Amino acid sequence: MGIEALAESLGQNILTTTLGKLVGWGRGNSVWPAQFGLACCAIEMIATATAGVDIARFGSEAFRASPRQSDLMIVSGRVSQKMAPILRTVYDQMPEPKWVISMGACASTGGVFNNYALLQGVDKIVPVDVYIPGCPPRPEDLLNALMILQERIKAQGITPRQ
Amino acid sequence: MISENLILDRGVSAGDAWMTVDPADIRQALSTLKDGGYRLLVFLTCVDHLVDASRSFPARYELVYELRDMDRPEHLRVRAFVDGDPPRIDSVHDLFPPANWEERETYDMFGVVFNDHPDLTRILMPDDWVGHPLRRDYPVGGEVVEFSEEHEIWQTAPDKA
Amino acid sequence: MSTPEGVTISRTGEAGAFGGELLTVNFGPHHPSTHGVLRLIVDLDGEQVRSVKPVIGYLHTGIEKQMEALRWQQGVVVTDRHDYLSPPINNLAYALAVEKLLGVDVPPRANALRVIMSELTRLSSHLVWMGTSGLELGAMSMLMYCFRERDTILDMNEEISGFRMHTSYIRPGGVMADATPRFLEMLEAFIRAMPGHVDEYEELLTMNPIWRSRTIGIGRLSAEDAKVLGATGPMLRGSGVAWDLRRAIPYSGYEDYDFEVATSDLCDCYGRYLVRIKEMRESVKILRQALDRLPDGPVNVDDRKILPPPREELETSMEAVIHHFKLFTEGYSVPPGDVYVAVESGRGENGCYVVSDGTHKPRRVKFRSASFVNLQALERMALNHMIADMIAIIGTADAVLGDVDR
Repeated sequence: MGIEALAESLGQNILTTTLGKLVGWGRGNSVWPAQFGLACCAIEMIATATAGVDIARFGSEAFRASPRQSDLMIVSGRVSQKMAPILRTVYDQMPEPKWVISMGACASTGGVFNNYALLQGVDKIVPVDVYIPGCPPRPEDLLNALMILQERIKAQGITPRQ
Repeated sequence: MISENLILDRGVSAGDAWMTVDPADIRQALSTLKDGGYRLLVFLTCVDHLVDASRSFPARYELVYELRDMDRPEHLRVRAFVDGDPPRIDSVHDLFPPANWEERETYDMFGVVFNDHPDLTRILMPDDWVGHPLRRDYPVGGEVVEFSEEHEIWQTAPDKA
Repeated sequence: MSTPEGVTISRTGEAGAFGGELLTVNFGPHHPSTHGVLRLIVDLDGEQVRSVKPVIGYLHTGIEKQMEALRWQQGVVVTDRHDYLSPPINNLAYALAVEKLLGVDVPPRANALRVIMSELTRLSSHLVWMGTSGLELGAMSMLMYCFRERDTILDMNEEISGFRMHTSYIRPGGVMADATPRFLEMLEAFIRAMPGHVDEYEELLTMNPIWRSRTIGIGRLSAEDAKVLGATGPMLRGSGVAWDLRRAIPYSGYEDYDFEVATSDLCDCYGRYLVRIKEMRESVKILRQALDRLPDGPVNVDDRKILPPPREELETSMEAVIHHFKLFTEGYSVPPGDVYVAVESGRGENGCYVVSDGTHKPRRVKFRSASFVNLQALERMALNHMIADMIAIIGTADAVLGDVDR
């Protein structure tokens, strides 16, 4: 069978791509966040999952209660010195590959609270992929961050973060 | 209702009635007030009067007990001034159950020791924390913000304090 | 701490009533059903709860210390963030306390706008409570319904203050800005629609057999216990005590509004739910009256020492420029003294104790938070219940952890 005949018989049913792109496509469209609400931003994170904004359109509605089933940690709110070791433990329990969104000013930099009690930015204990400004950010901002993260995951291929 | 010899001082601050009692008599004073109708302890806290030039205070730490009579309804603030290292006062957790956590918080934040408290441990800060954050000589902490008005006095110091 | 970090289950060695051994189970602080970063150490006999020890502080933000480092008018921003489900009510407690020390009274229109914002906040706080509690007890659709109306309220917040959640709208000396005509239109539409929505929630939950069997008779707290433990808000009213600060010690003109204090004699989780439903209806009633009787006039005190002059004046008056400059470089100072003001938030008594030493920063600000005190009742309420019921009890106690830990 000649190559033209093969192409004709398969028609529009086959795409050729690299394995990396395929894996990235799959991973990017099914990011499962860990259910990790901390403070004010957690309420907006819940609002992102409700019908008005609907994070399910981007394949991330499955908020997992166990870190072992999740790919993404949304640090939604201020991280106190007492919470920091627990946050790191939860992060360590997540399987690779994993990503972190730092949601809101408090998680990113400490926000308005420049004091003894808070970690001045969650990036001191876990690597952060996307930062969202705002106090708290709107649900749309979280969706935007998720889309940025998806683009990045899709570009990373099979072995992100070598 | 409360015998006058327990009261060291009394007055009104911005519309709120208050009285000062000797810290040694705090349990006696509060239990008399409780029997007299002030059955709810709204809050208990401490104020650190380190270098406060606006008024004169008998001691550095002022313990504040806000009581409420829900039937009338009426408020009364009871103060007791304590000094020392650590400052000590009797616990009132058995008179007013909400005082249990409030006393732990006051211990955590100011280092005030409440005698006979069943579980006087840190409540808000981690167990291994050093220092009592709400004392006035404890730095606010955090990170230095350049060009801010507090630039010189804001130090990153929680672990050194 | 007797239980080391990371150990989730350990045996105590004591014998339980059902022939087994007591188990100590660690819940949280990262746990999907604890309503925030609450940690509980529970002693279990089979599935029965023998003792509960809440461990808090995982969201300690140092708000009280932070406020000592901020000037009086800057502190408003921080008050928003301790009880993050009712920011304008937190603002109100702080603003009333500072105003009482300064000895100023706000104009009637400001008072009416404060009442409107407080009631909208109470509604949104109860909506979040109902949505998340429904979710925890298996009624996922509640979340979708409740957040729909919450979003309407947040849109109104945005219209009047420019911010969805942390509005900082109520400030010492008045409010941030006058209500826009669009806000009043939105409010009118909301007041018309809301009673129907509350009916919807009631249809979903009030006679729902799953909801009823999971809440009726669960987490009993007698009226006497509730008073002794210092519980306030729906926790106290759900035990049949008609105590509401809006009625008992009125503030911001609440004495002029006609509303009922919602109570329930059931003393259990279901009673607290009924109280909240009733409160939502009463809030709509108050909103109706406030909107109908909204007085005209200024929304801020006419005192250049406390609030900045209007923009037009800055272009013509040298004195206004000086006041503006002084206010934003140094702030105002408050006469020495201390004051306690309590307001009724969605969770109960939200108080603010302020001590001034006469400078431009507070000496001490203490927040008396309802959740902190109400959570102490958990030990008593959860006793001898099944462990699954504890989730319902935590849910209806409605502790906001930002409020507990401050």
